Formats: sequence, structure tokens, C-alpha cells
Amino acid sequence: MSDKRIPVSKSDTLMNDEMLSSLRPPGLAWYALIAFLGAVVAWGLFAFGYQITRGMYVTGLDRPVMWGLYIVNFVFWVGLSHSGTMVSAILRLSQANWRRPILRAAEAMTVFSISVAGLFPLIHLGRNWVFFYLIPYPNQRGLWPNFRSPLLWDAMAITTYIIGSVLFLYLGMLPDLAVVRDRSSGWRHALFRLLALGWRGTAHEWTVYHKASTLMAALIIPVAVSVHSIVAWDFAVTVVPGWHSTIFPPYFVIGAILSGVAAVITLMIIIRRAFHLEEYLTPLHFDNMGKLLLVISLLWSYAYFVEVQTTWYAHEPIEWEVFSFMSGRYTVPLLVMLLGNSLLPITALCFKRVRRSIGAMLVITLLVNVGMLIERFLIIVPSLSHKNMPFVWGSYRPSWVELSITAAAFAGFALLYAFFVKLFPMVALSDVRELEARSVSVPLGRAELPSIAGKE
Amino acid sequence: MEILGVFADVESAGRAVDGLLGEGFTEAQVTSLSSVPYPDGVLAKTGRHNTWFHWLALLGGIGGACAGFLLAAGTAWVYPVQTGDKPIIALYPTAIVTYEFTMLFAMIGAIVGMLLEMKLPSLKKRLYDPAIAEGCIGISLSIHPGGEAVICEAGVRPEECIGPVSSLSAAEQKERAEEVMRAAGVLRIIGEVQP
Repeated sequence: MSDKRIPVSKSDTLMNDEMLSSLRPPGLAWYALIAFLGAVVAWGLFAFGYQITRGMYVTGLDRPVMWGLYIVNFVFWVGLSHSGTMVSAILRLSQANWRRPILRAAEAMTVFSISVAGLFPLIHLGRNWVFFYLIPYPNQRGLWPNFRSPLLWDAMAITTYIIGSVLFLYLGMLPDLAVVRDRSSGWRHALFRLLALGWRGTAHEWTVYHKASTLMAALIIPVAVSVHSIVAWDFAVTVVPGWHSTIFPPYFVIGAILSGVAAVITLMIIIRRAFHLEEYLTPLHFDNMGKLLLVISLLWSYAYFVEVQTTWYAHEPIEWEVFSFMSGRYTVPLLVMLLGNSLLPITALCFKRVRRSIGAMLVITLLVNVGMLIERFLIIVPSLSHKNMPFVWGSYRPSWVELSITAAAFAGFALLYAFFVKLFPMVALSDVRELEARSVSVPLGRAELPSIAGKE
Repeated sequence: MEILGVFADVESAGRAVDGLLGEGFTEAQVTSLSSVPYPDGVLAKTGRHNTWFHWLALLGGIGGACAGFLLAAGTAWVYPVQTGDKPIIALYPTAIVTYEFTMLFAMIGAIVGMLLEMKLPSLKKRLYDPAIAEGCIGISLSIHPGGEAVICEAGVRPEECIGPVSSLSAAEQKERAEEVMRAAGVLRIIGEVQP
């Protein structure tokens, strides 16, 4: 074996360096962020402990509004999780080359947001120490979990989606884990050697890997759709006015994709800025994601219009009462929701200059998710406040406990993401480098045009 | 015995593969190691377009469907909860639980099948060079003991997988392969001691 020093391709090494820049030892800013997020999570845990010891009366939940901010959070976080894996899978199946730098941020977002979402039904339970009643197993109490309850469908769907999303994320990372293994030392090397499973990148491994990626992408999309459809059925299969609607599952799925795509763009902007990935997350990526957001916003607006228009035209008294109460009591949030989810994205994203402006995209995508959080609230609370019997009409105001736990959920998500970017490659570097390796210039007439050699 | 030549770029690695084939080694003996995928034939030809791991995904899906159905319908049957005139085994929830289990086990089957087909995790140490992660290309050659036929892959005709070079001793084959790799511009050659 020769000891000759290998003059490796600088561009490949440089690309590895740049795309793995997030793995460099953290600075003070990162520790400060972790300390802040950790403090918010700790405060949320304290609030949850307070709720466990004092009982559910410390929340704002009371008859008739027994589903409040916890379920709003649950629906919101499930929705947020929707797009990461789904967008990644759709772009992978459609072989859109611009997808490559985006994949990892999207897939990781799904895993962390669905994990946060899964906590809220448990927090909402009340007697949290009997959470295992949700797990379907024979028991000595002669009590069998009721499969006719949509809550159990949620448990099944979320479990499937968490496991599927983790597998999808891991599958996408496998070749990159081998690269990190080869560039790391100490405990990191031991960890990545274990996770890379001995991947060498043989021609056979790549062939099987590509087929498996395609199959997993095809399998995860219907799971993603089913999860949010099942969450929608939590509402739609009841006879509560405002909920009992056939359009709810597709409406929820569209809303989930809207909020998820917006969150992916927000995270892309943050990652791009924090790790100086301007060369990889280019205005082209924001342009394309902006177009996607525009289309989904149009779809969401159509679905919302259809839902409201049907209620308005039929003028069924109890349905109309709920809508009137919602628009009267929550006028400002309703307007913010319509602005954030519909008016602003549709008008602004028509313009290429806006789609390619990082600052504008940050504002728009943040507003979309503010709008989506409000939308979840306006779906849940007004319907329960003004149900069929006027003598039990009421209202709801979340307590400090619910607000603290909500803040902790956002901080917890950010905390998980912050740890993830410091431990794992944040850009799908094998995917990006593959495109670079296959880029060729093709002479056509008087010009040389860029092209991609070979099929995927 | 296996040897691994490390090349700086695809062109020199491609020349090495052509040289090895010209010397009498077969496609089945040569494989490439790279940190990015190249279309089949750019370096090595896998000759294995028919993968089998998806059958495990199908098997997982069928198993999951049975498990989901038994969990929802079977337990409702064993522990009946009578609610008005509702059926004990309700179609809607049974279908949902069956569907979720089908998809879950199909995904697990796909991943397990993929790893099995790739022969991962690898329990024995195999030839590798970390420079491959930095863009270098590895060309690996399996050398079979002299006089023996090269193991053929399914679907490959025997005359294609028995190279004329296999009549030489393993040491001579290795020497020839190293010469070809050096001529193609190899950066380093890593050899494996035959157990």
C-alpha cells in the first residue's frame, strides 16, 4: 500500500466542508440559544407538573369547550409535520433536481414536529399517568380500548407516521452518514460508524438504495395524507356544527401542506443564514418553493371559500350561528388568518422578485403559520362554544398553563432542531454532489447549455 | 482476495475498469465505490437491475394488514362492546387500523429488505478508503483463486463470467490488475490478505 498523499478533488472536499459546516464545534451564540430554549422548555415542564398536581381546572377548559389550546396545538403540529416528508417524497418521485438541498431540512422538520404533536393528546388527557390506556392491549380490568374512537385512530396513524418519517429521514441520510464517518474522529466517528452500517457506496449499494428511496417515497405519501385525514375525522365524524363536513379531510390536508411548506421555507432561510449556505440554498430554491406555496395557498383559499359559501348559502341556523359567533367574537384573528393564509401569499407570491427575496419570504412564511395556528383555533373553539343547545353556550380563554406549554412546544421543537443540526449533516450532500458530478455543458447551436447527464 | 484502487476522478477510474475488462477480468468481478451515485455503466455495471427487496415490503404489507385486521376486528370480537345497534366489528375503524398497519409494516419491510439486499450492516471489515468520501473513486476487484470459475450472478451467461485471466494464479492476477490500475493513474492500491 502506497503512502502517497492523495490529491483529492478540491471541489468535492470544499463542498463537503461547506455542507457540513453545521457540524463544526458550536459557538457562544449556539449555547446561548440552547440555554434560552432550554429555559422555556423547563418553564413548560413546570407548568405541566403544576397541571398534573392541581388537576385540569388550572387550564381554561370548561364546559362546553373541552378541547382548547392543547388540541389546537396538536392539529397545528400534525399539520406542520405533513409537508416535510411529503414534499420531499413528491419532489423525489418527480425527480425535481432543485429539491436536493432542501430534503434534509424538510424531513427533519417532519420528525420533530410530529413528535411534538404526539405529546399534546397525552398532555390533554387529564390523568396523564394512565396514558397507557391508549395502547391497545388486553388487560385485567376487562377494559378494551374502543377502536370506534377516532382518538385511537390518531394513536395508530401518528405512530405509523413517526416511524415512517424516521425511517425516511434515516434512509436519506445513510450515504451522508458514511461521509461524516470518514471525516470525523473520537466519539463522533464511533457514532457514525455505527449509524452508517458499513456503507461503502458500491455500485450495487447505490442501485438498491435508489430503488428503496423511490419505494419509500411512494409509501410515505399515502401515510402522510391518511394522518391528517384521520385528524380531520376527529372533528368531521362528530355532529358538532362547523365540524360535521365532508370537505374537512381534504381541507385539513391542504392546510397542513400549506403550513408545512411555509415552515420548510422558514427553516431554509434560518439554516442558510446560520451556516452560510448561500451557494446551496439559492434564490432559485426559494422561487420554486414560493410557486409551490402560491399554488397551495390558492387551493386552501378555494377550500375555505367552498366551506364558508356552502354554510352561508344554506343558512342552516346552527351552522350559521357558529360562523356568526366566530366572525363576530374573533374578527381580528379571522382577518389575520385570511391575510396570512390567503391574501398575502396569493398577491405577493405572484411576483418573481418577492419569491426571490429572502426577507419577504421569511415574513410571508411566518405569517402563513401564524394564520394556520389561528385557523386551528377558529376551527375548534367557536364550534364547541356555540353547539346545538344555547343554554350551554360558553367561551374559552387559555390559561397561563396552556400558554406556557404551547411556548414550550415551540421551544422544544427548536431545541431538537438545534441539536440535530449540530450532530447530523443538514444538507443532503450526496444528493447535491451527485447533481454537481453529473452536470455537463452541451453544445447546441452557438451556445453551450448546462445539462444533467443520465437518468436518476 | 480483493484489491481496491483509489482514483482521483471518474475518467481514470473508467480507464481502469476498461483496462481490467480488456485484461480478461469480468464485469462481475469489478465494482466501483463512490460517495455519489453514477449511472450504471459509467464505472461498473451492476447487472442487477432486478432487485428483490420490494417483495419483502409486499410481505410486510400483507403481514401488517393481517395484524391490523386481527387487532381491530379480532379484539372487538373477543371483547365485544355493545353500543346501541352498532356492529361489534365496525367497518370504518377496522379499515383505518388495517390500513395504518399495512403501511407501517410495508415501510419496515422495505428498509429491512434494502439492508439485507445490500448486505448491511457489514459484520466483517471490507476494503475501503476514506478518500472516497472526498470525491475519489474506488475500483474494487475480486480476484478468485487461479483455475477456478468466477462466481456468476443470476442471469449472467457462464461464458461471460469466466474470464480467461482466471486460469492464472491469484498472485499473477493481482499483479496484472495492479499494472492496469497504475497505467490508468491510480493514486493508491489497497490489497487484502487472503484468509
